[in-house]
Parts: sequence; C-alpha cells; structure tokens
Amino acid sequence: MIIDVHGHIGPWFFSPYGGTASDNLRIMDAYGIDIQMVSGAEAVTYNPTTGNAAVARDIADHPRLRGLFVIDPRDLAAAEKQMAQLLPTGLFVGAKIHTHYSATPAGSPAMADALRLCAQAGLPVLVHTWGREILDLGTAVDSVDGVLAIAAHLAGPDWRLAPEAASRTDRLWLEPNYSVAESGRLRWVLDRVDPRRMLFGSDSTLTDPGVTLGALHAARLSPEEERLVMSENAARLFALDVGA
Amino acid sequence: MILDCDLLIGRDIVSGRSVDADELATRLAGAGIGGGAVASLRALLFDATSGNDEARVAAAAHAWLPVASIDLRDALGAEREIERAAEDGVRFVRFASTREGVAGSAPRIRLLARAAVERRLTLLVEGSMPEVAGAFMGLGASAVFLDLHFYDLGEFVLLGREESGFHASTRLMGGPDAWETVVGELGAERLVFGTRAGWFEEESVLYRLGTARMNAADRQMVTAGNLERLGGLGA
Repeated sequence: MIIDVHGHIGPWFFSPYGGTASDNLRIMDAYGIDIQMVSGAEAVTYNPTTGNAAVARDIADHPRLRGLFVIDPRDLAAAEKQMAQLLPTGLFVGAKIHTHYSATPAGSPAMADALRLCAQAGLPVLVHTWGREILDLGTAVDSVDGVLAIAAHLAGPDWRLAPEAASRTDRLWLEPNYSVAESGRLRWVLDRVDPRRMLFGSDSTLTDPGVTLGALHAARLSPEEERLVMSENAARLFALDVGA
Repeated sequence: MILDCDLLIGRDIVSGRSVDADELATRLAGAGIGGGAVASLRALLFDATSGNDEARVAAAAHAWLPVASIDLRDALGAEREIERAAEDGVRFVRFASTREGVAGSAPRIRLLARAAVERRLTLLVEGSMPEVAGAFMGLGASAVFLDLHFYDLGEFVLLGREESGFHASTRLMGGPDAWETVVGELGAERLVFGTRAGWFEEESVLYRLGTARMNAADRQMVTAGNLERLGGLGA
C-alpha cells in the first residue's frame, strides 16, 4: 500500500500535457500508488475558489483521489464559505496552503489564523515549505492548538533544518519531495527524526513520483520505516479507512 | 549497459562531501550503471591541470570517458586546458560557470566555448539552462545541459530546434512527461542519461527510466548510444 499525501490535479504551466484525473491515475499505476491526495493546480496557482470547485468535480468519480482543500490565508472568509459547501461532500480529507503563491510566510499571523481554521475544520494541512520557513512553521503549529500539519518538501535546499522543525512540536510531519535533491538526504533526516513523522509525497502531477520514490529507495528504509512512511502514517493522520 | 554523462569525483566545498573514484565505481555498479564521463571537482574548483590529470587516471582505471574541466575564473588557464584536452584526445570539456561564480553572460564563456567547438569537443554545461545557454548558441556546438530542470523544458525544446547539437541530461528531467517531451519534440538522440551519482540520487533517475515511455531503440540511445556518439565511440 502506497499513500501519496502530496498530489495535484489539473494542468500545469510547466507542461503542455495532462491535467485530468486519468493522468493522475496513469502515473499512480506506473508506480503502484494506491491513494493520492490532490489539490488543484488552479487552486494553488490562480484561484482557490474556482480551483477547489474543479477538484470536487474532477475527483468525484475517482475514490483513489482524495481532495486537499486549498486555503489562501489572505482570504479566510472565502475559504470558510466554500468549506461549508464542499466539506460535506466527503471528497476533501485535508487542506493545502502554499506559502509562496499566497504570499503568506509560515511565521505570519495570517498563517496562524489559517492553521486555526484547519484545526477547527478537522483537516490536516499540507504546507509548502522552502528554506528557513520550515522552522517558523514548526513554531506556528506548536502555537495553534490541535492543528496537524505536514511540511512539504522538507524545506527544499534547507532540508537539514527539518529535524529542528519537527522538534518544535509533535504535530508536524515531514514530506520529502524535492526535484533537485542531494544524495543521502532522506537517510540523514530519518536518522534524526522518528519515522512516524515522515510521509510519502510525490508532488505529482508536477513532479514524477519516481523522483521521491527513488530517493526513498536510496535511503534503504527498514521494513518498519517503509510501512510507516509509505502508508501507515498517512492513513492514521488522515483517518483513512484503507486497511493499511 | 547504462552510461552516465555526469560523473564527478573529488570534494565539494559547499556540501563538504567527497566522492573518490573507487567509491563512485562501487556506487555505479550497485545501481547498474556501467560507467560514463568523469570530471574532477579539483579541476572545477581548485586546479584544472592536476584535477584533469586526476580525472584521466580515474577514467583509465575504470574504463570511463575522461572529461576536461575548465576553471572559468582563470580564462587563460582554461584556454590552455582546452588545448591540452584536444591534443590528448579527450572529447569532453565541462563548463561550470555557476559553480565557479562566473556570470553566464561573461564574454569569456562564449570565446572558450568557441575554442572548444573548433577542436570538436563536446561541451558538458552546468548551471541553469536559461541563464547559461546563450553563450553556447550559434557556434554549432555539441552540448549537454547537465542541470536543465524540467520547469525549463519548453524553452529547451524551442532552443533545440535552432541548435541541433544541444542535448538534455536526464538528471533533473523529473516531470512526468519530461523525457517523452524531449524524445517526441527533438528525438531520442537529444536526451542523454545523466545522474551525477553520489551527489544526486541516481535512484530517482533510474526510477524515471523504469517508467519512461520509449521504445527499445530510443532507450538504447538515451542510456548509452548518445554519450558514446558524443564521446566518439559510437557509430
């Protein structure tokens, strides 16, 4: 069982191809990914309201795809209004916040408010992290009661900060996708962080899942680490009934 | 047989890590990579002459292809290393402007690239393709862009239509359709297998190879034939 906590659906401006649920499923099948959590490319890069609605339409008939509701921390009123419409569908199991596209630093008051909204809605939230903001995210998560957050990309080039970020709260998980990763990165992190805090995320359909799966293979996971990272941690965090 | 166009030995001052030739050979064998074109970080970062000698010794010991690296901070020394490489039968020269802190627009890069092209050397080019490729255009160069990221692939296709000798390394072609886009738009002869094993996760590139939608002939070109051709070994 492989659960991918970081997926997207919809076309990307980096590629002239793809964008449909069938593209997600084709790529998932190529790597044996069973379930993928997806946020809308449109919701992340352009408009959360139209993008979240598109995700709801696109995944409704595809139970292997579970929605991540994109929140722009600068407009929480719009997010709350749409949550009331879309969360009862059961299609969305988590939230997504992109710090750069929404121009909201991880340590800002607006981010704390957005994390609070996620906690109130009962949605674990995947937060894009790049650079030192992963430390701010750890602090912010610690300050917001009940929120469960995932630091996407392990801070990219500053992945060595991930263990420190994880040490600031027991409610921050780590997701390792990074398209220009150095050799040995994930073993280094896993030697310093409880494997119950690491999740598999691919950033597909932007990035091919082979990038992260290869890096995890290179980390030579123990059987227990593999079970936890590839499915069990995600199933528990998102309360998925998947028999993982 | 899989060959890697982007082998590096030596010490990287930024990460503080080292990979020597024997260690790299062991790593390649474990990954199922049969060899490739090897360059020296000593040459790129400290002393081109002794570093390139080191790369040639490593290449001879492991049946790899030697790469002459140049230090763009020393333009005259770089000119001498290009000349020496050509005289010694080396077929590749590595440009690393970003690593060496030289602007991609510096005139010396184009002049040295022209000198290398005149000596029929294939250029292995580090750095962000949009920032460094301009210096190599219009020279009739055979060049492999080692750090081309799939975010910039559309630009590379446009460029590749103008520059028939421009090639993409697979290392950062991590988009779901990136390999297929190069093959479909420019042909399999323009994609060269590269991982920078030991410094980058070669397993990531090998996973992508495992799902690449290519026929057997194209796969052979990408994984070995193209590098052999550029190195003067193939048909």
